[in-house]
Amino acid sequence: MSSSSIYSPPGFDFSNQLRNNFMLQKGLPLPKATSTGTTIVGCLFKDGIVLGADTRATEGPIVADKNCEKIHYITESIRCCGAGTAADTEFTTALISSNMEMHALQTGRKPRVVTAMTMLKQMLFRYQGQVGAALVLGGVDATGAHLFTIHPHGSTDKLPYVTMGSGSLAAMAVFESGWKPNMEREDALNLVKLAIAAGIFNDLGSGSNIDACIITANNTEMLRNVEMPNVRVQKERDYKFRRGTTAWKKEDVRKLIVEEQTLLIGGDEMDTS
Amino acid sequence: MFLTRSEYDRGVNTFSPEGRLFQVEYAIEAIKLGSTTVGIRTPAGVVLGVEKRVQSPLLEASSIEKIMEIDSHLGCAMSGLTADARTMIDHARVTAQNHAFTYDEKIKVESVTQAVCDLALRFGESVHDEEAMMSRPFGVALLIAGIDELGPQLYHTDPSGTFVRYEAKAIGSGSEAAQQELQDKCHKQMTLKEAQLLTLRVLKQVMEEKLDQHNVQLAQVTSEKGFEILDESSLKQVIEEM
Amino acid sequence: MTQRPQQHSFNPYTENGGTILAIAGADFSVIAGDTRQSEGYSIQTRYAPKVFRLTDKAVLAVNGFAADGNMFVKKVRQRLEWYRHAHSKDMPIRAIARLIQTMLYARRFFPYYVYNILGGIEEDGTGAVYSFDPVGSYEREACRAAGAAQSLMQPFLDNQIYFKNQTPAPGTSFPQHLPLNTVLSLVIDSFTGATERHIEVGDSLEMYVVLARESPSIQALQNIVGIQERTSTADGERIFVIRRDLKKD
Repeated sequence: MSSSSIYSPPGFDFSNQLRNNFMLQKGLPLPKATSTGTTIVGCLFKDGIVLGADTRATEGPIVADKNCEKIHYITESIRCCGAGTAADTEFTTALISSNMEMHALQTGRKPRVVTAMTMLKQMLFRYQGQVGAALVLGGVDATGAHLFTIHPHGSTDKLPYVTMGSGSLAAMAVFESGWKPNMEREDALNLVKLAIAAGIFNDLGSGSNIDACIITANNTEMLRNVEMPNVRVQKERDYKFRRGTTAWKKEDVRKLIVEEQTLLIGGDEMDTS
Repeated sequence: MFLTRSEYDRGVNTFSPEGRLFQVEYAIEAIKLGSTTVGIRTPAGVVLGVEKRVQSPLLEASSIEKIMEIDSHLGCAMSGLTADARTMIDHARVTAQNHAFTYDEKIKVESVTQAVCDLALRFGESVHDEEAMMSRPFGVALLIAGIDELGPQLYHTDPSGTFVRYEAKAIGSGSEAAQQELQDKCHKQMTLKEAQLLTLRVLKQVMEEKLDQHNVQLAQVTSEKGFEILDESSLKQVIEEM
Repeated sequence: MTQRPQQHSFNPYTENGGTILAIAGADFSVIAGDTRQSEGYSIQTRYAPKVFRLTDKAVLAVNGFAADGNMFVKKVRQRLEWYRHAHSKDMPIRAIARLIQTMLYARRFFPYYVYNILGGIEEDGTGAVYSFDPVGSYEREACRAAGAAQSLMQPFLDNQIYFKNQTPAPGTSFPQHLPLNTVLSLVIDSFTGATERHIEVGDSLEMYVVLARESPSIQALQNIVGIQERTSTADGERIFVIRRDLKKD
């Protein structure tokens, strides 16, 4: 106990809390991580897992991307849907994907879903919720089909049907009324589509298209834009501008090569004969 | 009239058994003591004219004010207890300004007239145990002249809060003779000048003194210049044309 | 433990999304709004009108806090009826504009959390648009967008209505006023565009068209499907409403 001296008391150091509150008062808030409204779901069926996601990415009330991909690759038979801060979900899943590949190479075995889950939760916990990733992790491994949710602070759940993101309530309402154990592949896919559609139409943070992914023991099928219920409508007018519409103050045309001069310095001319 | 006088001529809000409000009727009588006031409407504008009773050679005739501006498009001539008219015109001015402030447009002639008449009826308002705002009906009648989107108009208001639109109207002591004269001489297509002359002729007939630019006042409302009281020199000119 | 004074506060306002827009033509005015009403990420209703017919020549669009907006329209209508009884005529649009200013400014220190756009026909028969801030500052303009997608629509309108940042072909000039069919197309495109990129805009579009008496612009409305007339008196200005579906995601 010699290290805990009178100079630094034992336990956590909260001195930065004081500084941060002071800065907040001075009108310098901490940069707020942008939360991406999303609907992501996953459900267990007879032969495996179906994952689903909408494709809208937002920055506040503005739609930043109308057709982004929220079902991320972890391994061939493990995929992960991400909600929350776009950069965090993308980077975290890519990092864990990379580590899973390393793990596979090192062990010479197909890595398990729990492994990915554990790596993700340990990383998220380490960052104390500062990495804003809310994930739905699903896949099939030697021990069977597994489905997890992982919250930004690192807590996890293992459930037969899960939803996350701002559209999670809309989607869960669909699961609660329609999910049954041991569903057929087509029924499970339809239920996932319905759940995502509920998010797309009832949650403003979700929208555009439906992505789905069906993972079974020996096949993974990524169904990108499996439904497109929100295609852009034809504009009433053409917005082509006449050549010369943009005014300019000054016209200045310059030659890229101002002057070219070839100068031979000493020596003999090259023998070209 | 005085035969029917009874207990019922005291309170301003008590009807007599015959259904009359004596105090209001007496107030209307008070107007008949006032100086004669005339108004004529023409398609080009409205003319107002008043007799100023200059009771003493020491009196400054220019200080008698019986025609007043309500707004740039509205004027008013009075007869009766002219002091009462101040309250009414103040109210009319506030109403007109308030309308312009709230609606960015000139108030209609009928609307100010209505507002003035609403005020004229307030003599009946008294809350139990509270001082009433007015003790008696106004003892003055007004001729309100103005121009709005419906053209030139002339309104007459009396102490009962009644208002009526006229082509030409005379009020005050000489009103009976004057009104008869107006009825005979008025026609629909009068020019403004004809109306000015007729106003003065009518006043001249009922006045005891000799009419000059000091003991009458003329005003008019036209669409071009709005309300204006004629100054002595232009008044003199019209008198000379008579 | 020491007792400290606790501060509590109650925020009486909410922002209910949506967008409104109005464009004035030479002898007509178009006033439009989407019908989505939202709070946060939830849709409260897909059909809550934000555009209201006031008289045969005036239409009011309100955007911001829906409860305030609805109450404000109710109060304006009450004042219009009082005016009609007091002055035996419909209030001219210029007078309505001033009335709205005085009503808004009366609540200077507890404002109606609402952006208003008033459209219609002036006494001289020209198309008019008046826009207001929540405490009553107002201005007559040729076009104005307000609400959630204002920042998306107004630059588009500045470019297409006022021809901002466009130089005309040599020897030509841009028109002062656009024809009705062009204006309607621009309004529809503004809203479909805003629906694509703003999460609070969508569900459906309601466009009111006010025509001056005997306006030849009526031609442009001849072949519009589902158009409804909302005029209440004969031989005066005419009001029509056109509805269009917007995306619901």
